[in-house]
Amino acid sequence: MSEHSLQYIDNGSIFNRMDALSKIVWVILVILVSLQLKTNEARALALAALIVVTFVLARVPLRSFLQSAPIILVMGSLLFFVHLLTAPSTDMIQIGGMEFGKQGFDKGLQYFLRVTTIVLTSFIFVWTTNIRDLMVGLVRIGMPYRFAFTIFMALRFLPIIQQEVDAVKAAHAIRGRAARSPWAHRFRLWQRYLFTVIVNGLRKAENTALAIESRGFGAYPSRTYVKDYRLTFLGVLIVTLFLLLGLGLLLWERGLLAL
Amino acid sequence: MSLPVILGINLAILVVLGLIARFVQSDPTSKGGFNFNYTTSDLVILAVIGALAGVINTGMGNIWYAANTISPIYGAALQGTFMWAYLLAYFLVRKSGSMLFIGLVEAAMEVLLGNQAGVQTLGWGLAQGLGAEVVMLFCNYGKFGWLVFGLAGAAASQFGTLWSFVLYSWSSLQDYLIAAPINVISGFIFSGLLGWWLGKTVERTGLLRTTRRE
Repeated sequence: MSEHSLQYIDNGSIFNRMDALSKIVWVILVILVSLQLKTNEARALALAALIVVTFVLARVPLRSFLQSAPIILVMGSLLFFVHLLTAPSTDMIQIGGMEFGKQGFDKGLQYFLRVTTIVLTSFIFVWTTNIRDLMVGLVRIGMPYRFAFTIFMALRFLPIIQQEVDAVKAAHAIRGRAARSPWAHRFRLWQRYLFTVIVNGLRKAENTALAIESRGFGAYPSRTYVKDYRLTFLGVLIVTLFLLLGLGLLLWERGLLAL
Repeated sequence: MSLPVILGINLAILVVLGLIARFVQSDPTSKGGFNFNYTTSDLVILAVIGALAGVINTGMGNIWYAANTISPIYGAALQGTFMWAYLLAYFLVRKSGSMLFIGLVEAAMEVLLGNQAGVQTLGWGLAQGLGAEVVMLFCNYGKFGWLVFGLAGAAASQFGTLWSFVLYSWSSLQDYLIAAPINVISGFIFSGLLGWWLGKTVERTGLLRTTRRE
């Protein structure tokens, strides 16, 4: 679970050095602009700009990008094909020797570009943001630290859950569970896995709560951090630049700005 | 089909489900009222359930995306499978806002595990959590029977489609209206009743006494 491609990459890139809250503002800004764009040319430019951000400003390794590409592309591609094949069209176009409706193609492309842009934006956020920095940032803008800690805690429990599932599976196998069994039996087995994992998780929760309380967690209304949050000039600069770029793109596609 | 229309439809459904929850008998009950006094134990329970639901829902999400891309009607049948953890968490913790909070924690886990909607997954956590909270609010957080849990699951399932509508710009009001009762039934069974049943089963283990402090 810890080896999947969608995880924080600490490589000292420009996006790494931005503060987490500025990056949240950047994500919201890109999403708002992408939802306001009206032409596929402008949407394609926005996606191209994001690909530049991925490799130049965020320096995401090509391998990580390629590993995540199916996740990034699948939703947009599905929507593209559904609209290509189902949207009513009056004009026809040829693609690879086959005829498709032009309006369906345009609509499919619209969905593909919009959804891919939105998903890639949030992936850039995940690749370049340390969750600890994000949580400290959220606490600084008013989130109670005990609630922010819950998200840390959930992250800590992710690999434990995987180990727990493996342990329960092994225990079932030792007791003679058939490797291949009918679907109804498999469903019953998963029902048992789920319940066992929940119960074991709750037992661990109780122990964890006692352990952290005994270390004084939650005793005071505020707490200190090893690495405190501060707004970075780089963050403000990138958000301002993208705000100007977004406005420029919106004005350009509406014919209010000539290039 | 515009956002105010969809918002209006969803709010109307929430109010109807909330009113049913308020006026039906659904034992056991408590004096109810707002209680935001979360103990550390409550927060760790939410973290554990959030992590577990995040793993399961990330997998379920892929099946839902495929179904939903074809039509919101197909997606609706699976829409209810995502919120069982909200109701389970509320059953165990019994605090106001716990369903909304676990919605956000669980969605955050999905974002980090690779949900295809990325950070936008948080929108579902927010919408679904709010839907369930509204129903519990109607009965003043004082009913813990299967019927109220089913209704809260149904509300969460239906209100979650508001975010799907915003994100995917659905255009067919007819499809949306056909999908609505399917969403509600799916949420009632797969979220509400499943969450309540898991909660009751955990309660029977005796573990609950050590994890819930009231």
